[in-house]
Amino acid sequence: MSLPGDARDGDDRCAQLPPEAWVAALASLDGMGPARLGALLGGSDGPAAAWRAVVANRWSWQPGPLVDALGGNGAAIADGWSRAARMLDPAEWWRRHVDAGVGVAVRGSPAYPEVFVDDPDPPAIVFSVGDPDALVGPRVGIVGTRDCTRYGYDVARELGAELSAAGVSVVSGLAVGIDGAAHTGALDVEGAPPIAVVGSGLDVVYPRRHRSLWERVAERGVVLSEHPLGSPPLAWHFPARNRLIAALSDIVVVVESQPRGGSMHTVDEAQRRDIDLMAVPGPVTSPVSAGTNQLLVDGASVARDATDVLVQLGMGPGIRRAAVERRRSPSAAAQAVLDAFDWQPALIDQLALRSGAAIEDLSLALDRLERDGWIDRRGGWFERRTKPERDRPPST
Amino acid sequence: MLATVSSASLLGVDGHPVSVEVHVASGLPGFTVVGSPDSVCREARDRVRAAILSCGLTWPMQRVTVNLAPSALRKGGAALDLAMAMGVLVASEQLEASAIDDMAFIGELGLDGTLRRVVGALPLVDAVREPTVVVPPASMFEAGLVGRHRVRSARTLLELVRALAGQEPWPDIAVVRPSPEAVDVLDLADVHGHPMARRALEVAAAGGHHLLMIGPPGSGKTMLAQRLPGLLPDLDDPAAIDATRIHSAAGASLPSGGLVRRPPFRAPHNGASAVAMIGGGASFLQPGEISLAHGGVLFLDEMGEFAVDVIDSLRTPLEEGVVRIARAHGRVTFPASFLLVAAMNPCPCGEGLRPGSCRCSDASLVRYSRRLSGPLLDRFDLRIEVMAPDPGQILRGEPGESTAAVAERVLAVRERTSARGFDTNAQLSARALEEVAPLSVEASAFLERALRAGQLSARGLRRVRGVALTLHDLDGVDPPISVKSVSLAMHLRVEPRFLSRRLAG
Repeated sequence: MSLPGDARDGDDRCAQLPPEAWVAALASLDGMGPARLGALLGGSDGPAAAWRAVVANRWSWQPGPLVDALGGNGAAIADGWSRAARMLDPAEWWRRHVDAGVGVAVRGSPAYPEVFVDDPDPPAIVFSVGDPDALVGPRVGIVGTRDCTRYGYDVARELGAELSAAGVSVVSGLAVGIDGAAHTGALDVEGAPPIAVVGSGLDVVYPRRHRSLWERVAERGVVLSEHPLGSPPLAWHFPARNRLIAALSDIVVVVESQPRGGSMHTVDEAQRRDIDLMAVPGPVTSPVSAGTNQLLVDGASVARDATDVLVQLGMGPGIRRAAVERRRSPSAAAQAVLDAFDWQPALIDQLALRSGAAIEDLSLALDRLERDGWIDRRGGWFERRTKPERDRPPST
Repeated sequence: MLATVSSASLLGVDGHPVSVEVHVASGLPGFTVVGSPDSVCREARDRVRAAILSCGLTWPMQRVTVNLAPSALRKGGAALDLAMAMGVLVASEQLEASAIDDMAFIGELGLDGTLRRVVGALPLVDAVREPTVVVPPASMFEAGLVGRHRVRSARTLLELVRALAGQEPWPDIAVVRPSPEAVDVLDLADVHGHPMARRALEVAAAGGHHLLMIGPPGSGKTMLAQRLPGLLPDLDDPAAIDATRIHSAAGASLPSGGLVRRPPFRAPHNGASAVAMIGGGASFLQPGEISLAHGGVLFLDEMGEFAVDVIDSLRTPLEEGVVRIARAHGRVTFPASFLLVAAMNPCPCGEGLRPGSCRCSDASLVRYSRRLSGPLLDRFDLRIEVMAPDPGQILRGEPGESTAAVAERVLAVRERTSARGFDTNAQLSARALEEVAPLSVEASAFLERALRAGQLSARGLRRVRGVALTLHDLDGVDPPISVKSVSLAMHLRVEPRFLSRRLAG
């Protein structure tokens, strides 16, 4: 009997498969992370041999990189792989990627992004949708918290737009919050192609409400992933995704971040690679600026706007576009309310105490300010805006 | 020989007259109770026999059959004990049948023959048609509230038999009044800051609008909610009688004045079951928390922690003001017209209100938001976010208005509303609002913009207009509704954000 995954049957289809197909099949196995995949390929005589070894489930268990990567439970994991591999037809699997138009590159193949070649933790395989040439120009990673404030959102979006307009590709992770704001900004202008690295298969859009953003990035730039089609966005994929964002960036800019979390993981990965770090200063009382302010204390450069980043990149100051205020000037009463803001989120209660206005008057003034683009509302909270919307984002 | 004694049994909050027929005749000695008794009622056999023997009276060495008529009505509880005992004594000719003419007997018996308090004395006595009713000493106060009967009592069965036989005068038993409840000390003046929450409480009380407070732990949600009943006017007569019957039927203590005049405040813990919340139970269908809150306030602290089905069971009573409970052995309708006040954390970590403070994962936010059904959130006319006030405000801020001052305005609004022919502004239908509260041109344009921008749904529109009317009534200004009131009404009804508050790209 010959099982679909059993390549020893001399199936012609399998014999003609390129190395990418074997690595893609290997990458689809449960729990196959970058470290294990790298160790597996490093210890075998080519990807096809590695696949055959997994299917046959015959291992020497000599101490080495693979045993280290598998940990104490290695035999059970290898059993699971073997079972799954027997059920998978690598030719069929490869067909699926070809049909979907997904670019696949493994180490050593010509399509493999040059930037990963000398990386300390290079991805064994890179799937891509979009234009791989997007990786050629200067690149800046813009990262930050998912639960950002309006301030962080506006700054990230502005950075994305200005850098993109100056010919710098924005690298980010397509998460909600800062990531999404940076790419939205990059797409607001005609500029350098955006680059996204995601933690799921390229057909599994996560988070789902970023579907349109995801598609527009793929259209204008490129979306990269280490995971084959169909891979769910598992929690452990994201730290690995963050390392690729760091690896792809010439500079990493953190816009808003708590002292711990995913963005700080990107920061650690950037430091491992000696990549310049920049941080956007924020109010010392804001929890989501605690991490970025700490980075500044620890020696990161200050990123106030795109010019700061461009100077750091050695691209010289960009052309500062004169800010044109297109918003309708607030009335005197509304201006008094606007003055009660301190660029931090505030409830009506706080604004009433600061401005001394009655809440009836305040509520109407806030509605007018919101209509004219001076403030933004989320639930019962109000935040002052630096600029009006270019086009209204699907924020609330 | 046969004896018939009048009594009453409780189903829901209503008493029903019951005839206790006792037949004593020759046969194998035994005691049977027929006519749909529940298990507590059936246990009366042992209590009645022991009570009669303890009092030195004679238990007939014959066959005793008790029938509880009408037999279709399920009888629960121990309130029929006394009537059974009287029936046995008459049927065994230890007492003249004429001695109990035109009398009804309600009470539980102890094994030593003492008469014990029964649950629901008020509705039970209300069901009695006879001019005289005999109740345990502890139930005399509630029995007297009905006002139609001559209320008699005795401490023990023996005392009662002697008084009925004319051997001794009726014992002189003082009516025990409940001790007066502690004076309401929760004053709105204690609240510092919180201008929006204060206004929301005032509007809730004046217009009967349900209120949801979202805020982190320690922001003062419970403190605010506890001050709401103080703002509500006294219950009118029909509501007070309903509330009193409910409290009596649930065995809750009554105020010293007798009728429940002050709006009740019920705050069930979030572990409450659906039966505890809406009413029901195995035997005589007791009222639940929502009925005990009738005419007053039902406060659900940590609403996200209640079981989803318990919260969803509130939806129909919220619309209809009554709850209908159907069980195999009976159907009852309880009044349940209450003001719902709920408090909850904005997210599992509790800090998620302020943009940029939440550490919850998207998945846990999705899970949390699933605990609250959209239709229920929609029923809150008022939804506000509450943050702890600034420490300086707590220490140095001016104390706010007192409960008495706000309650006066609330009362004035309620009077305006009833002059229009409605109970509360919250009940006004869209058509009634069109008639009672026309919009100014400016307000109409403002609302149209909000509807177009998707900030307001059609259902939300009615609620915003109702709240705007209440704001007008509080200021004593007649409609048309101004744009200012509409704007404030919308600020008093913020969208609960949960997951959606994160800024997407």
